[in-house]
Amino acid sequence: MHLRRSVSTVAVLVAGALSLAACGGGSSSSGSSSGKKEFTIGFQGPLSGDNAQLGINGQLGVKTAIDEANKKGNLPFTLKLKSSDDIGKPEQGATAAQRLVDDSSVIAMVGPMFSGATKAAEPTFSDASMLSVSPSATNPTLTSLGFKTFYRVIATDAIQGAGAADYLAKGLKAKTVYSLDDKSEYGTGLSGAIESQLKTDGVAVTHDGIPPTKDYTAQADKIIAAKPDALYYSGYYAEFGLLVKALKGKGFKGIIASGDGSNDDKFTAAAGAANAEGVYLTCPCGDANTDPKAAAFLKAYQDNNAGAKPGTYSPESYDATNAIISVLKADSTRASVAAAFKTVDYPGITKQVKFTSNGETEDKGVFIYQVKSGKRVVLGSTTDLVK
Amino acid sequence: MRLSVLETKRLAACLGLGLLLAVITGPSGSQDHPSSGIRGSLLDVRVVDFLLFGLVVWALAFGLRRARQTEAVSGPTAQLRQTVRTALDRRGARPTSYLAMLLVAILVPLALAPAAQLSLFLDIGIYALLALGLNVVVGYAGLLDLGYIAFYAIGAYVTAYFTSASALPIHAPFLLNPFFVFPVAVAVAALAGIILGGPTLRLRGDYLAIVTLGFGEIVQILARNSDGVTNGSRGAFGVPGLSMHLGPLEYVFPRTKALPYYYLLLTILVLVMIAFSQLERSRVGRALAAIREDEVAAEASGVPTLRYKLVAFAIGASTSGFAGVLFATKQFFNPETFSLQASILVLTIVIFGGMGSLFGVVLGAVVLQGLAYVLRDPIPFIGFQVADADRFIYFGAVIIIMMVFRPQGLVPSRRRSREIKLSEQGLGHADAITGASEVKP
Amino acid sequence: MAFADQFWQLTVTGLVIGSVYAVIALGYTLVYGVLQLINFAHSEVFMFGAFGGVFATRALLPSGNISATESIGLVLLGLGIGALCGGLAAFALERTAYRPLRRRGAPRLAYLISAIGASLFASNLAGKEFGRDSVNIPKDLFDYNTQVFSVFGARVSKQDLVVFVVALALLLLLDRLVSGTRLGQGIRSVAQDSDTASLMGVNVERIIVMTFVLGGLLAGAGGFLYAMKFNASFTMGFIPGVKAFTAAVLGGIGNVRGAVLGGIVLGLVENYGQFFLGAQNLDVVAFLVLVLILLVRPSGLLGERLGRAA
Repeated sequence: MHLRRSVSTVAVLVAGALSLAACGGGSSSSGSSSGKKEFTIGFQGPLSGDNAQLGINGQLGVKTAIDEANKKGNLPFTLKLKSSDDIGKPEQGATAAQRLVDDSSVIAMVGPMFSGATKAAEPTFSDASMLSVSPSATNPTLTSLGFKTFYRVIATDAIQGAGAADYLAKGLKAKTVYSLDDKSEYGTGLSGAIESQLKTDGVAVTHDGIPPTKDYTAQADKIIAAKPDALYYSGYYAEFGLLVKALKGKGFKGIIASGDGSNDDKFTAAAGAANAEGVYLTCPCGDANTDPKAAAFLKAYQDNNAGAKPGTYSPESYDATNAIISVLKADSTRASVAAAFKTVDYPGITKQVKFTSNGETEDKGVFIYQVKSGKRVVLGSTTDLVK
Repeated sequence: MRLSVLETKRLAACLGLGLLLAVITGPSGSQDHPSSGIRGSLLDVRVVDFLLFGLVVWALAFGLRRARQTEAVSGPTAQLRQTVRTALDRRGARPTSYLAMLLVAILVPLALAPAAQLSLFLDIGIYALLALGLNVVVGYAGLLDLGYIAFYAIGAYVTAYFTSASALPIHAPFLLNPFFVFPVAVAVAALAGIILGGPTLRLRGDYLAIVTLGFGEIVQILARNSDGVTNGSRGAFGVPGLSMHLGPLEYVFPRTKALPYYYLLLTILVLVMIAFSQLERSRVGRALAAIREDEVAAEASGVPTLRYKLVAFAIGASTSGFAGVLFATKQFFNPETFSLQASILVLTIVIFGGMGSLFGVVLGAVVLQGLAYVLRDPIPFIGFQVADADRFIYFGAVIIIMMVFRPQGLVPSRRRSREIKLSEQGLGHADAITGASEVKP
Repeated sequence: MAFADQFWQLTVTGLVIGSVYAVIALGYTLVYGVLQLINFAHSEVFMFGAFGGVFATRALLPSGNISATESIGLVLLGLGIGALCGGLAAFALERTAYRPLRRRGAPRLAYLISAIGASLFASNLAGKEFGRDSVNIPKDLFDYNTQVFSVFGARVSKQDLVVFVVALALLLLLDRLVSGTRLGQGIRSVAQDSDTASLMGVNVERIIVMTFVLGGLLAGAGGFLYAMKFNASFTMGFIPGVKAFTAAVLGGIGNVRGAVLGGIVLGLVENYGQFFLGAQNLDVVAFLVLVLILLVRPSGLLGERLGRAA
């Protein structure tokens, strides 16, 4: 009887396969028709699981840059994208990286996005001399672990943390700061950097952590009871939005600030415009709202991705991809791209993409944003604001 | 031809499934246009294909049912099945088939791409080992453990503690070669199993499940919060790879190559399977079976149930700890690796493969984890590429379909298939795990 | 800041979230009562209810200020559509992941695994259709943050009050339904002994479906309350699901009043616990309390058995 069931299951599967073949026929990719050489740029990030949205933001940023380059058509090669999903987890990071390395057409890659997955993946990239440019892995130690081909277009937590702390202490004159992180690798890295700088600036710091949740009401009670001048949250926009909502709901009057993980218009939506008003955001990235280049990016992104809006780390991914394209030549190999990237100097939309010898960006500016009438407005760089 | 009410219902169900398939494979929606995905999937010509597909499925199933009615016991498929069974039951056939499978496990990886080899070690091999351990707890003893991955975490962190001076903020006063950590980690994990099991194994059924779930969560949270011990969410980077120094014989396992690790793991898997099959037939195994079937009766006939349950728990925990060592020497990890979802995945593999059957649980790991890997590439012959973000829709669907059509798992143990067959005939329950409600005060 | 100063504020917060846990926990307990199964996919029923309620209210949100009648109407609409979506999801779940297994006399663990499969399927399908970012109602349906009254200095906001009162109403309604109606009688009889119930003329299949739907209606309405207070997202079910399941076990799984008590106790314990040990250890506190209670009372605070509850 079981065998019959298996037979019917097989029949179902075969029928399904045939039917899908009927409708999927048109979607197979057509080869490069222009006769130019075709390179593949890899992308690795969390494309499924809880953090899929951040991965999709990055992936579409890469795709935008590739589509633009192909449309312009002035390059001696055409480009293709190959994505590899690591779910944002270290245990999938190495396999995801190996998948890109195995594909001999992949010349360089953007990612990995998360620091944990980066630590798991980089030995593989180093081994294959494949250039990897992360748009978002900010853990300070990553460039000191001996990875040969690792670069990142985003300043580390240490730099952002120092800038943010100085602004809180000297710009906003906060005497007591409540530093809260989301217990993730990103969050703890950033909160650690802020706290050490705040202490050198003579500010009293309370440290606390809460893993991502939706219910921040009890946490809000606790923060309000501590009566800090300022709260700094190290984590992502979805949770920061809920936290701000809970804080305002409980009547918190102090300064509220967060970092690049929250520097997204979706934060305002998540918190509600009224609650988000006056909130500070720090980011080691230039002003994406007023820069004409950024406006062009916004348009290109929406044109190439069915109207989707860019999100956190989309601009960085776009910059990383364009910087890679700027060093590509028709006869490039993985090793030659990795070597050429050392001296890359590309004007990106978030910063001038240029690296120190260990793979950190030279541009170390940290910018302060504030939500005013529901919009994020840049106030300036911390070096200008804190004098 | 007039259809009966039942057949009409079945036809409707098949068409409904066709529409569902259309939605799953169709375009995605967004939060601003939550119905756009569904509209794009259903108000499109493609929906005809899927309705046709539903119709074909129904027609095939209908035809099969018809054939089955006339075929009775002597039909061709029944004969075929009988032939296969006699062939398998012949003396010597089983060892031969096992050898053939082992040969496949040895040779096939050589033909795979490095990424697939890596996945074979990390996703399939390690999870097969974990599943074998959990199988002792769930399959043999009938205890539902939802925090099993905690012991895996313990194994991994013990490895980091004893082998590396830099991976964790603290390290052992003397560093060991990873091979010597195996017994240490196994002992620590078994001890943790006994400490957890001692007070909680008196609880039955689902109460035990929630307590073990809590234990798993606590271990993960402690790993995340104890920055000074576990390095918190930054994880343990720099655990050395395996290496052997036996006099003149020296071999260092290269961390970026998967095959040496894979063959080591394969050897371990074979040894563990042999050991567990002996265990099942031993006094302990029979005692566990008695506990699983009817704990009260077992206790009444003089089986010290608590002690045997602890033994099962410790064996499962130590297997998990062992796997943790192997994992840590190959791969960077952080607390997110040891999530409740990972525990659930191991349990799913055990049940999917066939609870109680050693070969079944290994096959479960191969099929389920292999599926997760294969779905990353276009489906062969069809060319349809599953979007990464949608992968777990298909994964979930396969699990449901499997449980609907083969609730006993891919390769059920003989004892379990008999239990299920009896229950289908209405004689007794198919349960190895007694529910809390069956405990009468 | 001493615990004594914060005690009442923590209590208010704990009661509000605990009442939501209780509403979800009822779904686990009802299904457990009749089938002796942990419905692992119940968390996704809750999620679909939340999305349904949010999308419905968002579609009908007036552009200007919301009048008092409008806000009552919108909350009721969200609750209604949320409950409806939850009920439908639970119905579909029972049809696809439970009934076919029952027909085959599958072992208990097979149900658990098919429910896990259903949970993966449903949450990722929701991610595909509704996007993977969280969704909220763009405007407050009423002035959430106005203080209605204070208890020993603890603020009780309008939103706290609405969530608590609605949850309480749902709980009372269900309690009446289980103890006082024909359907409730059916559920209790199946919970006590489904074979005998079937011999006495109870349509067991129908009762099982109705139990799922009932749990789904509650979870759906609870989902809207939760989404109104926080937001809705495709992974939102997991944490409250585990919490509510814990609450159900805490109170004595299969016991309706036990689930309510378990939810409230869990909400309070969590809040007090995190005051002392920090939010990062919230779940440690919750589970340690659970283990301790189970060691003293191995079948939960109020004991199990739905049949005996009312």
